[in-house]
Amino acid sequence: MSAPIIDIRDLTKTYGRDRGIEHVSLEVAEGDVFGFIGPNGSGKSTTIRVLLNLIFPSGGIAKIMGMDVVKDSKKIKFHTGYVPSDANLYSHMDIDEFLGYCLGFYQTGSGEDRIAELSELFELDRKRKISDLSMGNRKKVSIIQSLLHSPRLLILDEATMGLDPLMQARFFELLRSENRKGMTIFFSSHTLSEVQLLCKRVAIIKEGSIIKVEDIETLRKRQLKKVRIEFADRADNEVAGLGGIENTPVVSGNTLQFMYSGDITELVFKLMGRKITDLTIEEPSLEEIFMHYYN
Amino acid sequence: MNRNLFIREIKGNAFSLVIWTMVITILISLTMSVYGIFLENNSKILAMMSILPEGALQFKGISNVDDLFSVLGFYSVNNVIYMLVLGSIYAIVLSSGILLKEEYNKTAEYLLTWPLTRSEVFTSKTAVVFLNVVFLNLVAAAAGFISMTIVKREPFSVNAFLILTLYTLLLNLFFGAVGLFMSTLVKRSRPITTLSIGLVLILYFLYTLSKITETLSKIGYISPFKYVNVDTLNSEYRLELRNLIYFIGLSLLLTILSYRLYRRKDIYL
Repeated sequence: MSAPIIDIRDLTKTYGRDRGIEHVSLEVAEGDVFGFIGPNGSGKSTTIRVLLNLIFPSGGIAKIMGMDVVKDSKKIKFHTGYVPSDANLYSHMDIDEFLGYCLGFYQTGSGEDRIAELSELFELDRKRKISDLSMGNRKKVSIIQSLLHSPRLLILDEATMGLDPLMQARFFELLRSENRKGMTIFFSSHTLSEVQLLCKRVAIIKEGSIIKVEDIETLRKRQLKKVRIEFADRADNEVAGLGGIENTPVVSGNTLQFMYSGDITELVFKLMGRKITDLTIEEPSLEEIFMHYYN
Repeated sequence: MNRNLFIREIKGNAFSLVIWTMVITILISLTMSVYGIFLENNSKILAMMSILPEGALQFKGISNVDDLFSVLGFYSVNNVIYMLVLGSIYAIVLSSGILLKEEYNKTAEYLLTWPLTRSEVFTSKTAVVFLNVVFLNLVAAAAGFISMTIVKREPFSVNAFLILTLYTLLLNLFFGAVGLFMSTLVKRSRPITTLSIGLVLILYFLYTLSKITETLSKIGYISPFKYVNVDTLNSEYRLELRNLIYFIGLSLLLTILSYRLYRRKDIYL
């Protein structure tokens, strides 16, 4: 197996007394489309900023393409593209000037052609001043600057924020196409539906720590079931003591709901003797799985 | 140093450099243009000065009233505020913002994720501060020299003028280094322009205050303006090794410290 393109071991970043990230370990294989999901403030951006050497780790190591993110930052950045969540570009420049400035840092001959190609794809008038652009158009410029040198690794932090659905679809199609050519994509988001559309694997981060790294399909196909039981009379926690209950059952009137990963036969035995009017056992959505890990 | 970044910064700061240079040059030229009128009214001016307390004259930088009537004395007393104070304000505002603006404008998320090292960012931007301050000083000095040559009634010491020009440049560069250092200490990404200007004005105020009374004379030593020592601006004016070491040594020390801090600075956005 080839070395991972992103290799994070025991990475910690603290801000004085405040928590940043704690003992984060993560591997992303070359060619993967990797989702990094968690709510705001969970540590996604902190992890990315350490990877990009905007901030320095308090402990642990992080490597990209086998190189240390602190010592070899410049070498890494020749092969990495980044789209930050906010598109705070140089507002006094026009688009062409900004992209030309960005291109000046890379040693690539095909940058101009790439800029033209991507500007056409995103329907961008390159003569416009950045200060006159809407959030969506600034985001498009930000995406173009991240791709103009055809990087091996693309890091996206809430990259679709501000894009209209049409442009979002076009952007996702572009990402799939780049991934087929070999580009690795590290996709950070707090929206699971986006990650689900694009990613093969996902890491879930909560309060600065990784709580799960799994294939999207495995996550979906886990034995986790959403169970909803409607009783003829008032419900109680009828399943108390049963193994495989994954959360605190929710009792509401005649209804009992919970996540279950145990044996269905045992569940049915447990409910014997109670009059049931309806029983639903179904696959939870990814959103529900995600919320399950969070709760 | 990174050429792309250096050129961008030169272009980006050109407008403000031209404005500052024009303003200071015009102020110097206009002030020097009234030298002739000043000389013609010397008896009235002397009478007016005689009723002023000595402290007030010292505050204005006049240690010897006779020096004021020489073209070089007139230049130093009336133009000190332009090049020593305004030049220092320009230097500290430029240097305190040149690195920090990438943080408070949040453009560091682009610049620092493109392939260049922190060292390259620092050296490219510091070189721009250095060149802009040198340019401002050279143009202002040229304007001063030409004005004096035009309005002079008697020869003046070019040597003393060159020493004053060098001290002024070193003072401005020192404040440039102070600005850089302050910006690398800032944890929160917000401009420190007001603080920078305030520092220059406070240090200038302390210097002038120290000249008024003997009891306050010691506090002048904490102000870099003291080491320019414009009070004795005549042919006896000398370049002192102690002052050179003070300006060059402290400027280098602050720049090296800033460089080391910036290389390891967490960029908060």
